[in-house]
Amino acid sequence: MHMIGNVSIYLALLLSIYAFIAFVLGIKKQDQRLIDSGKGATMGIFILASISMTLMFYLLGSSQLQFQYVYQYSSTDLPIIYKLAALWAGNAGSLLLWTFFLAMYSAMVAFSKKMKRNPMTPYIVSILMLNVIFFYLILSFVTQPFTLMDGIPPEGRGLNPMLQDPGMIFHPVTLYLGYVGLAVPFAFAIASLIVKNMDAFWIQMTRRWTIIAWGFLTLGNVIGGYWAYMELGWGGYWAWDPVENASFMPWLTVTAYLHSVMIQERKNMLKIWNLSLIILSYSLTLFGTFLVRSGVLTSVHAFGETNLGAYFLVFMAFMVLLSMYVLMSRYHLIKQDTGQFESFVSKESSFLVNNLIILGATFAVFWGTVFPLVSEAVTGTKVTVGVPFFNTVMSPILLALLFIMAICPLIAWQRSSLKNIRDNFLIPAIISLVIAGVVVAMGIRDAYPVIAFAIISFMVLTHLVEFIRGTKARRKVTKEAYPVALVRLMVRSRRRYGGYIVHLGIALIAFGIVGSNFDIERMETLRIGESMEIDRYTLTYEALDQRSDGVNDVVYASLLLEQDGENLGYIQPERMFYLNWEEPSTEVAVRSTLREDLYVVLSAWEEDQRATFQVKVNPLVKWIWIGSYVLIIGAIFAIWGGRYGQVSPRYAGPERKVH
Amino acid sequence: MIGRLLIIMVLMLIVTVPAMAQGNYDRNSPEFRENTSQFMCLCGCGQDHFECNMEGCGLNEQFKTEILEMMNEDGYDKNDIKEHYVSMYGEVILTAPEKSGFSLTAWVTPFVLLAGAGGGIIYLIRKWVRKSKQLMKPDPTDELEDETEREILHSLIDEERKKHF
Repeated sequence: MHMIGNVSIYLALLLSIYAFIAFVLGIKKQDQRLIDSGKGATMGIFILASISMTLMFYLLGSSQLQFQYVYQYSSTDLPIIYKLAALWAGNAGSLLLWTFFLAMYSAMVAFSKKMKRNPMTPYIVSILMLNVIFFYLILSFVTQPFTLMDGIPPEGRGLNPMLQDPGMIFHPVTLYLGYVGLAVPFAFAIASLIVKNMDAFWIQMTRRWTIIAWGFLTLGNVIGGYWAYMELGWGGYWAWDPVENASFMPWLTVTAYLHSVMIQERKNMLKIWNLSLIILSYSLTLFGTFLVRSGVLTSVHAFGETNLGAYFLVFMAFMVLLSMYVLMSRYHLIKQDTGQFESFVSKESSFLVNNLIILGATFAVFWGTVFPLVSEAVTGTKVTVGVPFFNTVMSPILLALLFIMAICPLIAWQRSSLKNIRDNFLIPAIISLVIAGVVVAMGIRDAYPVIAFAIISFMVLTHLVEFIRGTKARRKVTKEAYPVALVRLMVRSRRRYGGYIVHLGIALIAFGIVGSNFDIERMETLRIGESMEIDRYTLTYEALDQRSDGVNDVVYASLLLEQDGENLGYIQPERMFYLNWEEPSTEVAVRSTLREDLYVVLSAWEEDQRATFQVKVNPLVKWIWIGSYVLIIGAIFAIWGGRYGQVSPRYAGPERKVH
Repeated sequence: MIGRLLIIMVLMLIVTVPAMAQGNYDRNSPEFRENTSQFMCLCGCGQDHFECNMEGCGLNEQFKTEILEMMNEDGYDKNDIKEHYVSMYGEVILTAPEKSGFSLTAWVTPFVLLAGAGGGIIYLIRKWVRKSKQLMKPDPTDELEDETEREILHSLIDEERKKHF
């Protein structure tokens, strides 16, 4: 086993170096045999990565404790699903997963039907190979997944209880699929620069890739938020932790990119900008990995202090310098924009403003994340940059972004007239102001939530107007019934309407986020039979019991829940005690409705059965998760194939003998 | 006489203000939350002292008890409590940097940059629009049409054209 594991890693390293050399030589000598050989090696790497992964799953599943990684992150009593999920609990395993995805994507590009006979393919795969080589170097010499222990320990150290959650199964995998996915558009961009193909081919070709990567990044962040909300017991879903920020930054830059590429496709402008955005997004994925693995900043998500971060920093610097060199060497070819801007008030302008705000948000997150280091370096003073900073700085920026999202869909390309603005925005603006008035009448006096609710309403309404006008416009030509016209309108313009569904999802998420800031919290110590009240709820503490869950013990309290005098049944917050872990974990009891979440934590108890409960009412939180579903549905709708799905772009760049 | 009475009243007010501030706060008071959440828990939980519920956190309970004592017995307000802990632990104890000295740059830099970049974009668009106007004269009939519908129709036609050709 040990031999197979190590051979699969070392052989893959050799093959990746070989593939890179074969591609470079093949391109230089214009020898198709070398290119084919490189492609074969790429497939070989994917097969070897699959073997490594399968083997690691087997070792974890069958608790082969003689392997250091299995010993460190697993134990015999773990449920099988968490034994397997332990693969990405530590540095070596998670980097193996990353490498596997990278190898898979590389093979998919190398053998893509759409890229068959395309001269860019060898360039793209060789850039991906550079990444593969780096990861295999790390797996071979820095953090080896298949290291054997001196002896066979009787039991493993187990998996951190906080990681024993369904979130552990999906959050890292989706996040990595997103991170690694961004390497593909990056490779396409650099390849297109190298072959001097300056049109929008690389953008069109990678549109699906990018949206899929963006969708996975979104999913990874949302699942992470839900996991934190349910598992950590502090009632929050986002803490602006450096590691959370690290995954949020590439999400923001890719979002900016997905908008600005429309200007390049339509107007043949912003080529340098789009290239820079994809380079930045890719670099931020490496920067995020550096943050997680270096221990340079304190984070609850970090893998602990290792020297891995330094390697990522060096690799990131290398890739950024390489990209900048290629970009600058082709600057004379891409600086000439042929498109035109006809007016300040146009869709093009609003996309630019959208990019400005998103990049501003990215910088604010970056600046807040690294400021503790900056402050210490400049003044020697240690500071903490936490939630209040990010909430204060990000709120106006994100509100401005929501506002731009509201007006952008209804502003025409080229230029918008006053009549256009009045026709499209007057009614939504009036209704939004009325909603703001209602919010004030409900007793909310703070400026931010009132403005936020008004902007969110405005955004939803302008999008509805867009759907209505689109349907009407289609009916004028086709005379179809309204529902048919709406469905066909959407299906035949998936990208546009998929994007709008995503916007609606963002609006719902924003609605939930703003609402959740009005949380109420109480902490009470109760005797059996005593009650506490919070908002409209009455909780009566009835019993404190214990049960077994496998080898673990669970202490749980039963509370009778009533709302405005109506019996809602029982709610049972828990504390779980693990056989193989010192600290117990909190199992929150949540009663979730569209209006609010009742969130109950069993904090402590005494021998006489007095128990302390932390109870929260978190308004509108469910809308965050609903909005996330809508967002993902929108992304899937936008990339879905079918008759009216994606059209393969035609390559019109320089031809080569090899492909 | 009136002047003396006023002085006595002012003096009484001065004497009684701290006593009035010494309230009967408990852990469910909003003031307690406000005061506690301005400090970062240093146990590694990544949360502020109000939210920290980390098992075995040796700091949090002591902090909460001390803050409640300061509020109830010493009549400390938010700033007094902040100063107390900052003098003990330094700025790192705060959940956000101070809005003074070098730490102020944390707050203003993103907005300064945004403003600068915003100015740059306005300049750029103006340049492009001017260039574009020089190249072609506007068609006055354009403004009479409904631009959104025209744009939607154009995009539909564009999509259809792509599918068929």
